[in-house]
Amino acid sequence: MSSDGSSNGSSNGSPTLTLDGKVVPFETGETLYEVARRHTSDVPTLCYDERLEAFGACRLCVVEIEGFRSPVASCTTHAAHGMNVQTKTEKLEKHRKTLMELVCSENPRGVEIDPMRGHASQEMTDLAQRYAVDGTRFEGAQSGQSHPDDPNPMILRDYDHCISCYRCVRVCAEQEGDYAISIANRGFQTQITTEFNGFLKGSECTFCGQCVQTCPTGALADNRALQHTREPGEVELTRSICPFCGVGCSVDIMSKGDKLVGVRPAMDGPANEGALCVKGQFGWEWVQHPERLKNPMVRKDGVLVEASWDEALDRAAEGFRRVRDTHGRHAIYGVASGRAPHESAFSVQKFIRAGFGTNQIDNCSRA
Amino acid sequence: MAHINPSGDQELIERWRDQPASLLPLLHAFHDRDGYLSDDALRAVASGLRIPIADLYGTVTFYHHFARVKGGKARPRVCDGPVCKLQGCDELIVGLDGATAMPCAGRCDGPIPVLQDDEVLIGTQPGALTAAPPLVPPPNPGGIDECVFAEVRDPRRKTLAGYRESGGYRALSRAVREMTPEQVLDVVSGSGLTGRGGASFPTALKWRAVREAGGGPKTVVCNADEGEPGCFQDRVLMDLDPHAILEGMTLAAFATGATRGFIYLRYEYPATQGVLETAIEEARAAELLGTSVLGTELTFDIHVRRGAGAYICGEETSLLNSLEGKHPFPRNRPPYPVTNGFEGTPTAVNNVETLASVPPIVDRGAEWYAGLGAGEHKGTKIISLSGDVARPGNYEVPIGIPLKTVLYDWAGGAPEGRTVQAVTMAGLSGGFLGAEDIEEATLDEPSMRARGSLLGAGGVMVFDDSRDMVEIARQAMSFFAHESCGKCFPCRIGTQRLTERLAGVAGPKEPELWKAEVEDIGRTMAAVSACGLGVAAPGITGSLMRLFPEQVDAHVNGQRK
Ligand SMILES: Cc1cc2nc3c(=O)[nH]c(=O)nc-3n(C[C@H](O)[C@H](O)[C@H](O)COP(=O)(O)O)c2cc1C
Ligand code: SF4
Ligand code: SF4
Ligand code: SF4
Repeated sequence: MSSDGSSNGSSNGSPTLTLDGKVVPFETGETLYEVARRHTSDVPTLCYDERLEAFGACRLCVVEIEGFRSPVASCTTHAAHGMNVQTKTEKLEKHRKTLMELVCSENPRGVEIDPMRGHASQEMTDLAQRYAVDGTRFEGAQSGQSHPDDPNPMILRDYDHCISCYRCVRVCAEQEGDYAISIANRGFQTQITTEFNGFLKGSECTFCGQCVQTCPTGALADNRALQHTREPGEVELTRSICPFCGVGCSVDIMSKGDKLVGVRPAMDGPANEGALCVKGQFGWEWVQHPERLKNPMVRKDGVLVEASWDEALDRAAEGFRRVRDTHGRHAIYGVASGRAPHESAFSVQKFIRAGFGTNQIDNCSRA
Repeated sequence: MAHINPSGDQELIERWRDQPASLLPLLHAFHDRDGYLSDDALRAVASGLRIPIADLYGTVTFYHHFARVKGGKARPRVCDGPVCKLQGCDELIVGLDGATAMPCAGRCDGPIPVLQDDEVLIGTQPGALTAAPPLVPPPNPGGIDECVFAEVRDPRRKTLAGYRESGGYRALSRAVREMTPEQVLDVVSGSGLTGRGGASFPTALKWRAVREAGGGPKTVVCNADEGEPGCFQDRVLMDLDPHAILEGMTLAAFATGATRGFIYLRYEYPATQGVLETAIEEARAAELLGTSVLGTELTFDIHVRRGAGAYICGEETSLLNSLEGKHPFPRNRPPYPVTNGFEGTPTAVNNVETLASVPPIVDRGAEWYAGLGAGEHKGTKIISLSGDVARPGNYEVPIGIPLKTVLYDWAGGAPEGRTVQAVTMAGLSGGFLGAEDIEEATLDEPSMRARGSLLGAGGVMVFDDSRDMVEIARQAMSFFAHESCGKCFPCRIGTQRLTERLAGVAGPKEPELWKAEVEDIGRTMAAVSACGLGVAAPGITGSLMRLFPEQVDAHVNGQRK
């Protein structure tokens, strides 16, 4: 119990430890993994997602601490003042290679994964390359049963690639709060499941896609983006804000040429930290839908026809005026769109209050 | 008011909802009522206890013994532990209608146990199964002073009256009336008692940590999960001497300041649950448990919680998650249970044998107990001896006594015409010892650790010279693979890969490559697994390769007998 939170400060206040021979400061409560990552050492991991509680499944992040009998998982070990920590000894690298050989052996196809599958989908592939592991050593039975039959157009459940890191289950519980998926069975028979091993659409799943974006193997994949895999061109990412609502989730828009091929949550988005909802994540196809409205339309003799903005706005103003003149100012009720940011919502209420003299103003997100 | 079915869903939920550690007993209530856990039952439990249904479904599938198909609970489960394999359990499984295998069920010293509904039958022939009697240990063959077994052969010991006649509850009444908790801690500390559940942690040190920890209510948990193959001593103590465990727990409560207690009992001991519950009722009626123990200020009560078939739930943090109704993965440590145990409160988790040792220690004194050990070692340990040995059974031995004394002089050695080829230690967790070690080893941790092994929970399985050690190792590894919780990579994948290699269904066909693979997997498992299961499992392959290289080569070359 020697390291249990005993991170007393050094004489000048901030506690320090020795990391690969260098004395570095840390803040009380930080884990060794956090300290190591801040100081550029590239400790590998597959089960870690900084937004989630450290779990300690993959054991790749093990480090040696002087005085400890065995290596410890740096993600679940708190830094303590005076610790002498090694992150990259020959022994550790050998354990890491063996771990990678083991995990690739249950998943040999996992070394080539379409990056369209999701944000984190290359983590396993990258580490396999770093440790020069191809999945042939330690050959044996494969774990995980795919659900290619899950009838939803958004999330591909390709558990042949699953390595049981449980990031999906944890993000669903800890970030999304939906508890839609869980862990069935145990040991090598472990399987990601929904209630009674059913389809996602019959579960509590809201199709937010967070499990897809945290999956380090692409076992969970963005099926919408995958439809565009064969199209020519490189995927380009453009940082933007999701237009659906006022929360302002940061997204990385995926495009090939001038074609939108997918949306990814920005892990560093200040409002969303990697989260999106089903609309922001999967509801982008309208952007290039052939029936998308591109000009204002007005009804003439019962038929909608294209019009200029001036004509359309005049027509709208005329409508408002008519209603006010015939039914009085309280016949007007303004509902700001939930997609409107603050400033626009403010303008709407101003328009209704100052323009018509009524307080009947609301927002569609109120429900 | 509408008529309520006495065992309707709502009744069951209301019976348990506000009880501590309610999920397991509520699931058992449905399992017992319906003979399986239906989807509807799970939905009712999930909404009754406000657990997400996907979580509950996943957690239920973790446990081996929760049946998910109609009629499943009544189907016979036949022990296929290493010793029952020697007795022909495979044929029994084939011969019994609807039977399936279950991991070691803790009766290795007799005929094969078969769990059928809530009854344990024993036998080796399908048509000739009989009820399983409690097994009484034979008189100590060494004629040596005992601690926990001293009185258990007396059949009256099971009742409160009989227990009191032979000195029971004397220690507790002295402690609560004449001693301070500090004094109890000093006695336990002086006795040298360490955990008998496997890790040998000093009991007084653990209790002091709980006593000094902030927050509460504090908890004492008796670990009666006894899942290690080849270990069956806790069952005997609970069946024959239940009050000793209750008294030990109450002394632990007095010493630590705990107010609530749980006994986490493995599923495979259904009759034991009744024995413990009867004893608890007797103790409550006699004010030995409750809000004013023996008229003093001590408040302590005990609840029995039945597990559902998972060796890993014997690991203390996995056990705590199981009690709390969570997915029973082990927790990351620190923090340890002594500060963050059951529902985050300071908790002492102790093994059955550890707790049963406490009343005689407090009664007869630290020096007496310490003096029971051999040489500089302190105290006693029960050794569960089984397999190819003339007189299998439980033996309470002085710690530090030579292994060969117990194996040959006490238990009669290998059967007529055979010699001992190997023994396992700590059930399976200590791997194998070969002839040389058996000759020299003494039954204590330093001697065992010097041989790369463990005394642990004290299970010793004996294999004579007719046995195929690679096959024995395969069975052992497939147990670990079956019981791996699946939380961490090295153990989840490693136990599977090692089992496949021992079975010869995958892996290199060239001995040097085979050994290199098995060594690499084992080294990484032992060094970086998240809990003791994955750390211990490769002890099997390591000792196999060290002791029986020719058998390993023959296996890899496809020349096994
Ligand atoms: C895989 C595994 C299984 C265990 N099973 C048991 C068990 O069945 N009974 C037990 O008392 N301890 C078991 N332990 C040890 C417990 O974690 C814990 O150390 C013990 O209950 C503490 O009690 P003690 O100090 O009195 O021995 C197990 C440990 C591991 C790693
Ligand atoms: S899409 Fe969202 S709600 Fe559905 S399983 Fe994944 S994380 Fe959970
Ligand atoms: S589906 Fe992906 S995130 Fe989920 S456990 Fe498997 S590999 Fe990990
Ligand atoms: S070592 Fe095995 S049993 Fe222990 S946490 Fe890891 S997978 Fe689970």
